[in-house]
Amino acid sequence: MRGLLLKDFYMMGKYCRTYLLLLVFFMAVSIVGSRSLFFIIYPCTLAGMIPVTLLSYDEQSRWSEYCGTLPCSKAQIVSAKYLIGLLAQLAVLILLGVCQAVRMCMGGVWEAGGYLTLMAVLMFAACAASSACLPFMFRFGVEKGRIAYYLIVGAASAGSLIAGDFFGQDVPTAAPVLSAGTVIALFAAEAALYAVSWYLSIVFYQKREGRSLRNLHRLT
Amino acid sequence: MNALEIKNLTKAFEGFKLDNLNLVLPGGCIMGLIGENGAGKSTTIKLILDILRKDSGSITILGRDHEEDIRLTREEVGVVMDETGIPDCLNTRQVGKVMSRIFRNWQEDVYADYLKKLSVPDGKPFKNFSRGTKMKLGIAIAMSHGSRLLLLDEATSGLDPVARDEVVEMFSEFTREESHSILMSSHIVSDLEKLCDYVAFLHKGKLLLCEEKDRLLDTYGIVHCTAEQLQELEPAGVRYKKESAYGVEAIVLREAVPVHWNISPVSIEELFVFMVKEAK
Repeated sequence: MRGLLLKDFYMMGKYCRTYLLLLVFFMAVSIVGSRSLFFIIYPCTLAGMIPVTLLSYDEQSRWSEYCGTLPCSKAQIVSAKYLIGLLAQLAVLILLGVCQAVRMCMGGVWEAGGYLTLMAVLMFAACAASSACLPFMFRFGVEKGRIAYYLIVGAASAGSLIAGDFFGQDVPTAAPVLSAGTVIALFAAEAALYAVSWYLSIVFYQKREGRSLRNLHRLT
Repeated sequence: MNALEIKNLTKAFEGFKLDNLNLVLPGGCIMGLIGENGAGKSTTIKLILDILRKDSGSITILGRDHEEDIRLTREEVGVVMDETGIPDCLNTRQVGKVMSRIFRNWQEDVYADYLKKLSVPDGKPFKNFSRGTKMKLGIAIAMSHGSRLLLLDEATSGLDPVARDEVVEMFSEFTREESHSILMSSHIVSDLEKLCDYVAFLHKGKLLLCEEKDRLLDTYGIVHCTAEQLQELEPAGVRYKKESAYGVEAIVLREAVPVHWNISPVSIEELFVFMVKEAK
């Protein structure tokens, strides 16, 4: 498992540099520029898609097949992707969280309830994307799973507009729109969603054979 | 102890069936799996590794059922597939670090030695390697974690003749230890002929033959004669024949041919081609 995570770290360092640039740009805009929620929700969605991107590269390099010859269980292969996704999402949430806290304080509109509501929404944006995509990818392969990816990115963009209406577009002055209990329930629901997705991906991947039947000519 | 025992192994796909395969690879030996494209060589290797699930039959690797503790088994089995499968962005050092955290018995010094022996460039990303160098890296990985059995699927393809010779020598050295064995498939039959103790011919998912190489070469020979001359031989002694305007070329059992006949030695490749044509 440690080896799989290290490999994904190396790959993330190489292939996800654009994400990092986008994140920095969006964070900067969200602090000093636009007040639209899109600029903080979209980086979260992108962070959630990092394991999906890594999985695509795995399939392209045929690591997915080679990995089946290494002493790693299918559950470990799946779990490595969920863990790397979790770490990426947490890192982005912390960075965005700090930025938004600074922005609220600088604007003199700090309100803990509103801040937590905002964080719950951001966490949802981050974990919903990978939770929805990964089981499809582990079940049907990257090619078909990509359809889910595009649907999620589209939904995330629409979601950030809806959330903008919900918060009145103006993040720093957002009121504590959800009660503490609701926010806690939302966090719990997000954790449950991620756990269920994780479990489903393991089950799907364990049932999946090395390659699809249409590639039989390459099997033999 | 046998390194590998396959009994009645069957796996069916749409349009292809690996049918009732039986193979035994004794410890300390090298077996060559020879077959055309689509004969079932890679399928056999993937079934052994439990990458594909068998429909029926049994597979025993290093004395254990292959489904019993597949992770433990994979610790002791080095695998090189026809496509190495290393991510393009990794370099050899990063690959070493990743593998050291995957294999319990990873031997960093052995890995470095193999990279040096095989002239695999250090620090260069995998994507910049030629196909041959990619295969060499795959071979170095497979041999650096204390493997007792190597499963090699077209591992020598893409290598230039000099590198192939070096690799073949490395494999030969590997099996000097009695507990080390190799099952390798290749289109380059000359490599297998040079290296293998046993050969198995696969054709359209069926095993045509599995025999000790030296015994095959001692048993069979080639005669070039006319059709009339060939009729003088016992029909059972003529295994395969090819007729042309210039005469007949036949693979025969040496013991069935009169001593005054001129018998040429048969190569594994010739034997395989004859058998496959006969099976068609």
